[in-house]
Amino acid sequence: MPDGSAFYSTRQTDLIVKSKRKRFLLEFLRIILVVLIALGIGFIITLFVSDEPVAAFKALLTGPLPKISFEGGFHIKGINRFGNWMEESITLILLGLAVSIVFKAKQFSLGADGQLILGALAAGVVALYVDAPLPIHIGLALVAAMVAGFLWGLIPGILKAYIDVDEIVSTLMLNVIAIQFYQLVLVQWLRDPTAGFIGTPFFPKTAILPLVIPGTRVTIALFIMLASVFVVWFLMERTTFGYEIKVIGANRKFAEYGGVNTKRVIALSMAVSGIFAGLAGVHLSMGLLKRLTLNMSPGIGFEGIVVALLARNNPIGVLIAGLFYGYLRTGAQIMERSSDVTREVVLIIQAIIILLITAERLFPLFQEWWLRRKLSAELDSNVPEEEAAR
Amino acid sequence: MSFETVLASIFSAAFIASVLRVSTPIILAALGGLLSELAGVINIALEGIMLGAAFAGVMVSAFAPQWFPGLPVWVFPWIGVLAGIITGIILAWLLAFFHLELGADIILAALGINILAAGGTVFLMYSITGDKGSTSTLASPAIPNIVIPFVNNIPFVGTLLNAENLTGYNVFTYVALIMTVLITIFLYKMPLGAHLRAVGENPDAAASVGINVKRVRYYALLASGVLAALGGLNLSMGYLTIFQANMTAGRGFIALAVIYLGNRNPIGTVIAALIFGAATSLGAQLGTLSVPPQLIEMIPPAVTVIALVIYNLRKRAQIVANARKFQERAEKA
Amino acid sequence: MRDITKIYPNGVVANDDVNFSVERGEIRALVGENGAGKSTLMKILYGLESFTSGAIYLDGQRVDISSPHKAIDLGIGMVHQNFMLVPSFTIAQNVVLGSEPRKGSFMDADAAIRITESLAKEYGLEVEATARIDATPVGMRQRVEILKTLYRGADLLILDEPTAVLTPQETDDLFEAVRRLVNQGKTVIFITHKLVEVKEISDTVTVMRHGKVTGNVATKDVSEVDIARMMVGRDVFLQVDKAPQQRGKAKARVEHLGYISETGRPMLRDVSFNVYEGEILGIAGVEGNGQTELVEVMSGLKPATTGEIYVGDRQVARKNARQVRRAGVGHIPEDRLTNGVALEATIAENLVVDRYYRPPIAHASIMSPRVIRSQSEALMAEFDIRAAGYDAPMDSLSGGNMQKVVLAREFSADPALLIAAQPTRGVDIGASEFIHNQLLAKRDDGKAILLVSADLSEVMNLSDRIAVMYKGKITGVFQNSPDLTEEELGFYMLGIKEQTPEEMAQNM
Repeated sequence: MPDGSAFYSTRQTDLIVKSKRKRFLLEFLRIILVVLIALGIGFIITLFVSDEPVAAFKALLTGPLPKISFEGGFHIKGINRFGNWMEESITLILLGLAVSIVFKAKQFSLGADGQLILGALAAGVVALYVDAPLPIHIGLALVAAMVAGFLWGLIPGILKAYIDVDEIVSTLMLNVIAIQFYQLVLVQWLRDPTAGFIGTPFFPKTAILPLVIPGTRVTIALFIMLASVFVVWFLMERTTFGYEIKVIGANRKFAEYGGVNTKRVIALSMAVSGIFAGLAGVHLSMGLLKRLTLNMSPGIGFEGIVVALLARNNPIGVLIAGLFYGYLRTGAQIMERSSDVTREVVLIIQAIIILLITAERLFPLFQEWWLRRKLSAELDSNVPEEEAAR
Repeated sequence: MSFETVLASIFSAAFIASVLRVSTPIILAALGGLLSELAGVINIALEGIMLGAAFAGVMVSAFAPQWFPGLPVWVFPWIGVLAGIITGIILAWLLAFFHLELGADIILAALGINILAAGGTVFLMYSITGDKGSTSTLASPAIPNIVIPFVNNIPFVGTLLNAENLTGYNVFTYVALIMTVLITIFLYKMPLGAHLRAVGENPDAAASVGINVKRVRYYALLASGVLAALGGLNLSMGYLTIFQANMTAGRGFIALAVIYLGNRNPIGTVIAALIFGAATSLGAQLGTLSVPPQLIEMIPPAVTVIALVIYNLRKRAQIVANARKFQERAEKA
Repeated sequence: MRDITKIYPNGVVANDDVNFSVERGEIRALVGENGAGKSTLMKILYGLESFTSGAIYLDGQRVDISSPHKAIDLGIGMVHQNFMLVPSFTIAQNVVLGSEPRKGSFMDADAAIRITESLAKEYGLEVEATARIDATPVGMRQRVEILKTLYRGADLLILDEPTAVLTPQETDDLFEAVRRLVNQGKTVIFITHKLVEVKEISDTVTVMRHGKVTGNVATKDVSEVDIARMMVGRDVFLQVDKAPQQRGKAKARVEHLGYISETGRPMLRDVSFNVYEGEILGIAGVEGNGQTELVEVMSGLKPATTGEIYVGDRQVARKNARQVRRAGVGHIPEDRLTNGVALEATIAENLVVDRYYRPPIAHASIMSPRVIRSQSEALMAEFDIRAAGYDAPMDSLSGGNMQKVVLAREFSADPALLIAAQPTRGVDIGASEFIHNQLLAKRDDGKAILLVSADLSEVMNLSDRIAVMYKGKITGVFQNSPDLTEEELGFYMLGIKEQTPEEMAQNM
């Protein structure tokens, strides 16, 4: 630290918000604002391409809600849409949890895609080749998927922590390897020769996740997801491991000074993250598809990033952000079916959300601009020389 | 097909030609990625930029005859190329602006750009053509091949220089090769190239001698946008004459790996890109010999990871060796 | 530079109405302890920092230096403490970087080498123009930095602690080069806190303390001791009441400790001492003589190259930070923003970093938020940490309160051996008094305390014994008594005197 003493940051102290709650609230408002701006831009884009933009946007924003009708007695319509919402959200939340753990440790692992697909593969192999009664069979498949995700996360974790191999490149490459391996196993050994496309036979009944909401594909994966949210929350807030992850993310040198084994924790954080990506693979294979197919999840691993970002890596936030984003995606599918706008408009909205949320200087800049305007209005006659010259 | 024939086909001019063709988009994107990487701003948005440019090229060249009637027919594909390059620049500028001006994390912002391109292309394609899968309903032109005259009758050489059917390589392949040379010269012989490398290696040092770090990084990212755009255009206007949803299929990420595998210099990058291209071509060839292509396609990414591991282990060994050397010297003194 | 005042946005006054001038063709030393404001002053002169008020004149003309670029144009060059070089470039490429000689649109590599070699020859700064920087020794890198400024036409060179990273031989070479530069009409400002160097190289000397200039003298008129007095000053002399010492047995034993840095420089040489229960052992010395390394090695942040450290019965040299802490060592680090706190974490998270994994906070890896809260709140009350709450983010605290978080953690760990490195640096008078009293209370409680401080009056006020470090060695160990004078210690701090092993053993 140069002169000025090690203890004072050169930041504007009066701009620092002191209380945690107030900071949390500001952050929350910022995220809401970003989402609203993104939705607004999405709507403007829709205006350009659609003949019925309002109807289309209405489908996007209200589509996933089931409609309660009292005509001819009480019944609920559109439960399958609600189901779709939950199905999407389960995947997104599990992936968001996975991403949030590594991001919390300030590691840029992008490996959720590969971990998910190997998790699905491991679950699929157990489902097809192990013979066991219902709860045990599912349990074994779950464990297999979690182990697969863990190990596929452990590799880049060890490489990063102990040999300093850039985790972005290694995880992207491991994703390619995982996907090729998955296809290899599927094509060579698991495929059902009688099927018209490349995919395994359907799993036996004992290896299909039991349904929870009839008329949908919402299975006990819902409970697995909720349990995962709790587990990650507990992990981060109540265990020494979570504390270590947080402290490393906040200041790695401080963690080392305090006696934390930072290398071990970094490697493990990436591996533990893989567990939840693996569970997302279980949801896709044993819950939704009930078999393995060649192109099961193109690029879905990256979707977890937007969820984690929106949630600021907070597990409860991931639950909310995942539900929100799953809602948008489902709404988009309904919009696509019922109007002339494709669901990809949601991807555009998502991109805008990512860009605006990561743009850290955007809001301070805005704030500064606003303050300066206010100030210059007040002190109109008293503009500093430099400012006036500009 | 027997093993011998496969072997023969690998060492044939036709195989080399197919490797060149497959590698071209990766070479172009990787050279772009290399420029930004060397300037200290990793560009993960290569994938999205390629996709956006591939789409813009097809759409604009397909509609150009309606917009500019009266122009000679050969101009239209080039208008498409121009549109593709502009799209690449816009996407790269967006990334640069969010990162350099608004402080966005460059990796996350780039992922945003990728999603924007993936969603935006399909969205626009559907809005314009009513098709979500591809632009097969549009008649989009191709960028022509260049046939080198007088060599077609020479065995091997003819195939090598003018590809399998003696119809020549696409213009983009030649652009890729020329770019390799130009970028090598730029990086190592021209002042701005030296500034770019200095900015990437030690931004403080560059700034202290009056180099505008931010401006150099803008240039680097925009240049990477142009090159990645060319790579994307090669897919939709050279390789094929159609745009398909997600037609880059991870080539932008492969390009990124290629940079590291190629030890972050242009020649190494091109060689690494050719290795990836060879693996793809080989996969296709060996498929006939019941060697699964997936197995071959796993090799380049695995090699990339292993190469990084070896490189880092060597670096570490060197540091240890240096420390020991210093220590011995200190003990003597 | 006239009436320069620099106030940081957080209110820290780095330069307070400073007047500084330098004559053409002289070597001006600028000295002061860390935090005295000398680097800030020079950064202002080089356009790296803006100033709050005042003006800069060059050759009688008022000039506006708002960026390094302008400084370069005005003939001002600066050699930074951490070199500004591109490792993979050759020396010649580094020298010309930013204004390369050209042949058409291309760089003229031959011309760059020619220019470098002729400049090197002209000023006697021997370099290997075609060697890559990452393969060159530190001394040569520094010559490259000087050549860089000369190539850009600098007449006034600012050297920021140039000898900090050099071996004695390299230092001699540098001094020779500096003299040659001045003989050829250049002017040099030499920032340092090594007084020997001031005497050896400079014509005039400016001393700074607490952001103010405390002396402006011709070097030949003053002794090193005079300069030291101007640097340290007497205005912070606080008399503390010390209870009579109840010295126990040796708690920590350091035996023949040696440490060689990653760049191969021996930073600690055969350092041996004991710290006894109920004692404060002060380590005095001019900064950069191995104190930082001693603290890092003893607290487990760096592995000792040779030698042993015992805390109680446990050997802790080359053990990691947690093992060292488990052996009963507390550590108030010197650079608290880098090591001592995590700004993005909460106060509570900062308070428990040494104890989060064991009871009463954690049982079987499960942490109790209730215990964390009650412990944190108790500590915040005891140490008067003012914040919105125990879970307030660390970066919402003022500097003084951040400091207290570190103290609260390290004092409350109840260490058998407490290492306090520069504990009052950057702290106001009231807080220093508090810290001093806390250290004394620990001593009276029978703990062993190692106090490392660049502030001699602090060391002399608090310590029971004082060890002096010079060039990585202990040059003297003294019982603290009213007879022991600053002057006497100064001789050892500057390497003028050195005790024999027998003399030292008397006070071990």
